[in-house]
Amino acid sequence: MSDAENIKQRIEAAIPGAHAEVEDYTGGGDHFRATVTAEAFAGLGRVAQHRLVYEILGAEIGGAIHALSLTTRTPSQTNSSQTN
Amino acid sequence: MSSQPHPLPMIGSEPDSVPASGGEPGPAGETRTAGADSNPIREALSEAIEKHKVILFMKGTPEAPACGFSARTVAMLQALDAPFAAVDILPDPRIRQELSAISDWPTIPQLFVGGELIGGCDIVTEMYESGELAQALL
Repeated sequence: MSDAENIKQRIEAAIPGAHAEVEDYTGGGDHFRATVTAEAFAGLGRVAQHRLVYEILGAEIGGAIHALSLTTRTPSQTNSSQTN
Repeated sequence: MSSQPHPLPMIGSEPDSVPASGGEPGPAGETRTAGADSNPIREALSEAIEKHKVILFMKGTPEAPACGFSARTVAMLQALDAPFAAVDILPDPRIRQELSAISDWPTIPQLFVGGELIGGCDIVTEMYESGELAQALL
């Protein structure tokens, strides 16, 4: 299992109903880009949404995971703007 | 460009030289572990976050960012002509540890406006693109 797949599965397991897309954008296994869509984000500010995801990965953020570029959305936001 | 970045290299570089917080209590709600060693770095960080309307904790300096995420965040603030204070977290690993303990945020950069964590590079980017960042910096 690739690291990106592992991160995806952990996020989806930890946040009920979440859909995560995770990409290892350097191929080096330590820089990832993730877009997480979850109803659980509704009503939360962006900081709280990101914290939910960071908490799943714990100390790996800044450790084995050098960078995790994160976009969080609720299902109703998925059709809105896409960032690079 | 009128916005002159305002580096704060003193934080953490010389713990003894961090100015004592003139008898002022920490902000309400500041948690402190009972019996834990007093923590000048954490106090200096809290003070800096309170004192500066816009403060960016980054790797490197605005003039010489040491990380692409920090560089992008600086560039967005500069594009909005927003004056901001900046703190390089690299000189002492304790700065980052204490900052993350205060902010409950694991990554760098971290942008604070009005004492509140706005977010890291991703959130700042989204807010820049949507115009919310310009609003928040007013």
